[in-house]
Amino acid sequence: MYKIRFIALKELYHILRDARSLTIAIIMPIMMTFLYGYAVNLDVNNIVISVVDYDQSFESHELIDRFYESTYFSKPQTPVNATNPKEILRTSDANAVLIVKPGFGKAVSEIRRGEKKLKPFSLGMIIDGSDNNLSAAVQNYSNFLVNEYVQSLLPPEVKVPGINISREILYNPDLKSANFFVPGLVAIVLLMISALLTSITIAREKETGTMEQLLTAPVSSFQILLGKIIPYIFLALLDGVLVLMFAKILFDVPFVGSKLLLLGFGMIYVATALSIGILISSLVKTQQVAMMFAITATVLPSVMLSGFIFAIRNMPVFLQLLSVIIPAKYFIVIIRGILLKGAGFKILALQGIYLIILMAILIFIAAKNFKTRVD
Amino acid sequence: MNRAFWGLVKKEFIQIFRDINMIRLIFAIPVIQLLLFGYVVNLEVKKIRLDVYDFNQSSYSRELIRASQVGDYFNIATGKLPIFRLEENFQRSKSDMALIIPHQLSEKLIKKEKVTIGLLADGSDANSTAIGTGYLVLIVQKFINHFYHFKNPLNIKFNVLYNPEAKSVYFMIPGIVAILLTMLTVMLTSMAIVREKEGGTLEQLLVTPISSTTLLLGKIFPFAVLGMIEMIITLVLGILWFGIPFVGSPMLLVGLSALYLLTTLGMGLFLSTVTSTQQQAMFFAWFFSIFALMTSGFFTPIANMPQWMQYITYINPMRYFMVIVRGIMMKGAGFYDLLPQIYPLIIFGAVIFSFSVLRFHERAG
Repeated sequence: MYKIRFIALKELYHILRDARSLTIAIIMPIMMTFLYGYAVNLDVNNIVISVVDYDQSFESHELIDRFYESTYFSKPQTPVNATNPKEILRTSDANAVLIVKPGFGKAVSEIRRGEKKLKPFSLGMIIDGSDNNLSAAVQNYSNFLVNEYVQSLLPPEVKVPGINISREILYNPDLKSANFFVPGLVAIVLLMISALLTSITIAREKETGTMEQLLTAPVSSFQILLGKIIPYIFLALLDGVLVLMFAKILFDVPFVGSKLLLLGFGMIYVATALSIGILISSLVKTQQVAMMFAITATVLPSVMLSGFIFAIRNMPVFLQLLSVIIPAKYFIVIIRGILLKGAGFKILALQGIYLIILMAILIFIAAKNFKTRVD
Repeated sequence: MNRAFWGLVKKEFIQIFRDINMIRLIFAIPVIQLLLFGYVVNLEVKKIRLDVYDFNQSSYSRELIRASQVGDYFNIATGKLPIFRLEENFQRSKSDMALIIPHQLSEKLIKKEKVTIGLLADGSDANSTAIGTGYLVLIVQKFINHFYHFKNPLNIKFNVLYNPEAKSVYFMIPGIVAILLTMLTVMLTSMAIVREKEGGTLEQLLVTPISSTTLLLGKIFPFAVLGMIEMIITLVLGILWFGIPFVGSPMLLVGLSALYLLTTLGMGLFLSTVTSTQQQAMFFAWFFSIFALMTSGFFTPIANMPQWMQYITYINPMRYFMVIVRGIMMKGAGFYDLLPQIYPLIIFGAVIFSFSVLRFHERAG
């Protein structure tokens, strides 16, 4: 046991001596919290739209006001010089242009009078489809606003009673993106530190030739491994705590569930991520390759396939199957459950079991590979 | 100058390709990135898991459920769901929304009275929840209009330009080109130079009769080539596999990419002058890449960021390149359309590159 301690101490000195790396290891999670909180805004609100009003009637102004008064749309910030709708879309910052054709005012007054035989009237809208999420939102919101406008026009005797929807949004009633990102971010940061740093630190000993020196020392390869990863377990957990702290300070992200439960699951997850790092390091010879390997084979898939940003249910089947081997997928369900929903042990136990199975498989492969390499 | 330069370039390529893993990675990286970004990046909100608790069990309520199934927006679980499991399913992340239909729905619809139905949502995914509840409101609106044979007299005809099939792949793949070019060149350049420092071979190179400028260019050039190769692999795969359109001029894209490389290679060089180990270099490059990626408008439009954040994005060179790649590929933008992006890139490239070269000289001298 004391041998492991010595290796761990040696590794700790390595980490502490390199002040610049340590600084980045601590600042990075804070910066990521900051960026994900502020720069990634998936709320499709205040979409910039421009209007070409060929009708210029009281009614057309009424409709346009409804668009701009909603939280969905806002006016272009740069002056619009063109008059042709397509030209406006190309030259201004507007994402869509609403076109009110002549005759709109007349059509609206017919609806107001409650006439029986109404001729349908079409408004036009051209949309910049480059960002399809935005484009879908524009169509949704516009349809909703126009429907609402029609309902407000109808005289009482024509109006249909309608269904009232009583909405209740649980866990994140203000619908803040930060509450969605932060738990996932903890999962990503823990993985990055554990997998990326351990793979590089072991590859470094190989590259500089100090691995042989370590192996000739009277310690087993298992003890070397364990000793080398212990400091990174603490560094990873420290980073996880930093993300949670800053998320609390900056975005007031809630922490409803049990902290101890999170720590327990966190340890299992970090151990899984470390086994990935060891596995990578057993496959490569240089730090450069270890880094590229760790990023493309672990960090990137974890970001993309774990449900961190993109819903797994929307992926093609083969990627859904692939996501089964991504540890972050399980941990994200766990940490969102604990942080936001106050889920308890019994509810999350299944996810924990999946993680342990993954960890066992990874450690088995890594240990086998590491030994054969050493011989 | 020329012979020394090509000698160095050759040495560097031998060093890069000596490692079989490196060759595998160079082909694997664009493929993995394309598959992941091409298939996964889908912010469209679809297949929301909706649990329906139908206490009415009438033909009306079933009609409403059927209406919600249209369009692939909801993945509906119905039948005998126990209501006490409602919240547990949210906590297990097994469902996203729950619709509760009261038993008096059919009765009130017939009497033309107002009826209230319940909608509960797991709000953790704010974006899906906002859009999902929006869908449901529209569906209910349509259902009720249909029920009372009310024809909506006003509608909107949408005309989606540039990306009419509304595929996110078309939007994402040009972005991947920008990301690959940035990450690869910044990381590999900085690590390659620091590696010579770490191994002590930089001094050996400096005492040879090669000027330090030649040395630098020789070290950087292979990574510029590598970046371009990765870019071409990505584009070809994207066009062949995903069928993305390439509207604009490929030559313009290559030219402007070369301009952009001045910035990223300069950045890699700069990082190599402020670090002393490969681990540090990797760390700094990773730090820069994440910042560049997040503020480039790749995932979400810059216009959606808070105002002060939008100002920060101006110092991110990738922001301009992102507009260039997307503009050329999707909209067929020409040189003059892209001038507002080209000027900043020229300034960034000139400043970062010359500053780093000077710094390198100082250190080396």
